[in-house]
Amino acid sequence: MILVEIFSTPDCGKCAQAREALKAVVAGLEAVICREVNILDELDYAVDLGVLSPPAIAIDGELVFPTLPGAERLRQELMQRGARAL
Amino acid sequence: MKPELPPELEASADLLTVGKVARLAAVSADTVRFYEKEDLLAPARKSAAGYRLYGSDTVRRLHFIKHAQDCGFSLAEVRELLTLRAAEDSCCTDVRSVAVHKKLLIESKIRTLQAMSQALSGLIARCDGGQLPLEACPILAALDASAPRRPAPRKAKAP
Repeated sequence: MILVEIFSTPDCGKCAQAREALKAVVAGLEAVICREVNILDELDYAVDLGVLSPPAIAIDGELVFPTLPGAERLRQELMQRGARAL
Repeated sequence: MKPELPPELEASADLLTVGKVARLAAVSADTVRFYEKEDLLAPARKSAAGYRLYGSDTVRRLHFIKHAQDCGFSLAEVRELLTLRAAEDSCCTDVRSVAVHKKLLIESKIRTLQAMSQALSGLIARCDGGQLPLEACPILAALDASAPRRPAPRKAKAP
């Protein structure tokens, strides 16, 4: 199972828009789960992973996208890691 | 050197000289000039003799800049905050994002400094303070040894 974590702040309009687009990508793939991380609630974890500028995406505990990728870029990355389209 | 200001200018309630605005904001006149050079503030106008004259809102602006710098914001970030404050289409979440971004940077720097401090403690602990010749110095020897291993990245949290 691949874990995608989206780091953002809940009241950020830019984050919300991107979050929904990326969640749609994850929903279309098998063996991928998504977790939304509120940076303010999990600041230590965000700093551990090196998140400096939200929104950002970590995959399996590694900060893969310090800034948000496009939906297709995320899909490609997940497919490379073994995800399959539903 | 410029001539003394005419009394009517000194008495102006609306416009302040650089010295007066600096005194009211508890900064030096050089600081006001520096902020001006950095595009953080601007005089309302210049007098006929070429003196910069500032509006009374400049004092508030100077307090804002100082306070933001105390919170760790760089001058570029202060400029961004001032722009956000003045922009009609910005809202407090924009400002909050800047603050969150800054907090992440500062926390990250704290981690780095803590790691450095820990590494130094390790080095200091190697030396008992004895009067050894330089070639036997345990701190220099430790620095000469292979690079320290970085800690493994933290595991992802369970969803």
